Amino acid sequence: MTKKLIGQRVLRNEDPRLLTGQAQFVDDVEIPGLLHAAFLRSDHAHARLLSMDVTAARQRPGVVAVFTAEDMGDDWEPGPPLVSPPPTAKDVLFYSRRQVPLVKGKVRHAGEAMAMVIAESRYIAEDAVEDIVVDVEPLEAVVDLEKALQPGSPLVHDDLESNLAAHLFQKKGDYEAARRQADLVLQRRIVIDRGAAAAMENRGIVAQWDEKSQHLTVWDTTQAPIPIRNGLASRLGLSENQVRVIAPFIGGGFGPKMMMFYAEEMVIPWAAMKLKRPIKWIEDRRENFYATTQERGQIHDVEIALSRDGHILGLKDVFLHDTGAYDPYGLTIPLNTQCHAMGPYDIKNYSTEVSVVFTNKTLVTPVRGAGRPQGIFVIERLLDAAAKELGIDPVEIRRRNLIPADAFPYEHGIIDQAFSPLILDSGNYWPVMQKALEMIGYEKFVREEQPRLRKEGKHVGIGITPFIESTGVGPYEGARVTVEASGKIHVATGVGTQGQGHFTTFAQVVADQLGVAVSDVRIVSGDTAEFHWGTGTFASRGAVVAGNAIHAAASIVRRKVLELASKELQTPQDELELEGGMVRVADIPHKSISLSELASLANPLRGAVVPGTEPGLEATSYFGPRYGATAFGVHAMILEIDPETMMIEIKRYVTVEDCGTVLNPLILEGQIHGGVSLGIGNAYYEKLHFDENGQLLNASFMDYLIPSATEMPRIEVGHMETRSPLNELGTKGVGEAGTIPVPALFSQAVEDALADRELEILESPLSPNRLYELWSRKEAR
Amino acid sequence: MRIEGLYTFDGPREDLWELLRDPKVLAACLPGTQSLRQVGEREYEGEIGVRVGPISGAFAGKLSVTNEVPPASSTLTVEGKGKVGFLKGVGNIELTDQGQGKTLMKYTGEVQIGGKVASVGQRLFDSVSRGMIDQALGKLNEMLQARIASR
Repeated sequence: MTKKLIGQRVLRNEDPRLLTGQAQFVDDVEIPGLLHAAFLRSDHAHARLLSMDVTAARQRPGVVAVFTAEDMGDDWEPGPPLVSPPPTAKDVLFYSRRQVPLVKGKVRHAGEAMAMVIAESRYIAEDAVEDIVVDVEPLEAVVDLEKALQPGSPLVHDDLESNLAAHLFQKKGDYEAARRQADLVLQRRIVIDRGAAAAMENRGIVAQWDEKSQHLTVWDTTQAPIPIRNGLASRLGLSENQVRVIAPFIGGGFGPKMMMFYAEEMVIPWAAMKLKRPIKWIEDRRENFYATTQERGQIHDVEIALSRDGHILGLKDVFLHDTGAYDPYGLTIPLNTQCHAMGPYDIKNYSTEVSVVFTNKTLVTPVRGAGRPQGIFVIERLLDAAAKELGIDPVEIRRRNLIPADAFPYEHGIIDQAFSPLILDSGNYWPVMQKALEMIGYEKFVREEQPRLRKEGKHVGIGITPFIESTGVGPYEGARVTVEASGKIHVATGVGTQGQGHFTTFAQVVADQLGVAVSDVRIVSGDTAEFHWGTGTFASRGAVVAGNAIHAAASIVRRKVLELASKELQTPQDELELEGGMVRVADIPHKSISLSELASLANPLRGAVVPGTEPGLEATSYFGPRYGATAFGVHAMILEIDPETMMIEIKRYVTVEDCGTVLNPLILEGQIHGGVSLGIGNAYYEKLHFDENGQLLNASFMDYLIPSATEMPRIEVGHMETRSPLNELGTKGVGEAGTIPVPALFSQAVEDALADRELEILESPLSPNRLYELWSRKEAR
Repeated sequence: MRIEGLYTFDGPREDLWELLRDPKVLAACLPGTQSLRQVGEREYEGEIGVRVGPISGAFAGKLSVTNEVPPASSTLTVEGKGKVGFLKGVGNIELTDQGQGKTLMKYTGEVQIGGKVASVGQRLFDSVSRGMIDQALGKLNEMLQARIASR
């Protein structure tokens, strides 16, 4: 048998198309007679809509239509819930308020879509937007999470008693009892602020209704084309088979492009049907800042109880989570935070209580990390504080608390984001941490280099942060694998692709089963006409869930290939091998038959077949895990701070990931690099500034800083493999791993670099300004 | 956003007060003013063109003057909106006789901005508003001296 392709650094199948500009993105779709849409968006964060006069806009030459909520009549309805609502149970409160297609009655965040203009060109549409005269009564905006819950606060949703969107309490063990036995109890208030996903490609939609065939085609920058197809069909009164949603190449997803049912996603296809004309809308960057979902805002009041020797006895967290103006994504993010606030540690007593808060800000839905970075930030900051209090080395205090290898599967006794029991399926944590310590040279740095550099007056610090990442969640994905008459393989799966290298990793999985070259496997993803069962690309689940579905389908096709070849070659199956697109008899290499010939034989044009025969060498299969696999990793960094400017230079950056079986180390490293880049942004650059009126003050890349090449360190990536027992390939996800620990790690290293001032960082993101403020408040020791 | 500052005029307080009550003078002083009409006792409506970094556009709005204590102090309320956003502000001016024909103006105010001008122009709004105020007060001082000279 040939060398296995899984685990090889195979170059990406999709790159030649992407790098030569031949890949199709939504904005590349051109259709004769295409119209263009632009949206009027609210300047106010909170206001009552009194009237809107669109007469002048409608009269502008080139304008085809202008729609307001009123014009939608009975077709106006809020979007669907995007995840299952939480179970009705004791300790769970949840008020569902979903985003609306166009504002009716009241504006709930700045940038909310109020009217849509359809015109012959985007220029005309934009000009016509300015013709619309809007009369609103501005209302006091709900911005601050704590004030939002105070009696007398203005209400985001007038029909609710308060701005509380949800409340959830979970516990394991008995925190109060643990606290009584503790030698040290630390209380901290930790504040995490909002950031943007800032994908390179903004959102975009093209919708085409074909009146003659009664068929709707939608090109959408979505991570989840199948739920969008099903939802559109239901909203528009069509059969699911009358709607085709294509998610072509997408310039980055990062969460906000999930099955969102954004206003534009609802109204563009609707208008295309109304007008019987194709319509395109491409989001501009400013719209992306207002109208594309964001994340991370939380305030934690947290308490940790420890023994003198640094063992965690218990953890108690009470926190607020900002959901923005609506909460279509349910409790996914705060549940992730609850599940990650225990980190990779063996914590027996835990109490966690979240209040989800409506505010007059852009909607909050998962952004790469999705509540996990906040949880990790909380526990890691507490452990650093405890290490200092107890005089224990920060690595040692972590080692003492890591879940031991023999404790897996480790059941936590609380529920996860799918409302299933939180179980960590597998892991071997300490060796991963040891590898990271070795790679960064922890001992040598702390004993020799740091003291020497400090003597030279340099502010250098080191950090090391372990973390878990729940990945590969259900419910399921599927795939169809076909050997075509050419002998090449066609694979269709439902998940969309946004740059993850699916066309390569999935091809490797198939190529291993069918003995073909990776380049001979063609993957089609994100087109509901090709495959229409599944959910989408999110929660670091592509390689795990779709990957295993593809593996299962390819295994069945392999069996079919071997059965047919065995008959044709008159050789038992166990003497056959698949290699180079051929099935060969192991000992007699010239006795062989190609996949191409077998595919033709499996699809005869004349003659009789045995009743019950299925044509072709094709199989469709599905995979759904019992629960999500949990990956582990450790990041370490050494940085130097210039206390004059508070600019930071990252001298070393090391990651060691254990995401189970590595399908392609090259692609894995790419995922890590991208994730770390967002993490560095979250730690030191990227913060959305809202003023007290709910106005976003830095809605452009002039003012909202994302790390560029000059801020990115060289990243050294190490791997360890603890296979997941939950799926055949043994994979765990890694899509969000790069991002999750970075703010926690960064804070640890910054504190270490500025150790002469006993700085304690309890907020994220920092910035040079903010760090200077914190630093200058402390006296030098 | 808070706005505050001091400006010394080269003329007596009473003359300055008179000028401040004349809408034609105000229109001439405020940079970018396209029109200013008196619509009430001390209420005006008008349009003003503003440029803040990459954002430029006209604001249409109202200006009203209240709490007048001649010739010492008054309150100005501005409300405007346009294609690039909206603006609301309340400010107080106090005039103090400095002797030797000089008058000190102390101004304080709170301005709220929203929309494009806030989200993209925020970084520059402070310096732009400061520039506009300085320009307006400079022009007003010129007109004050012209008024004195013409007597």
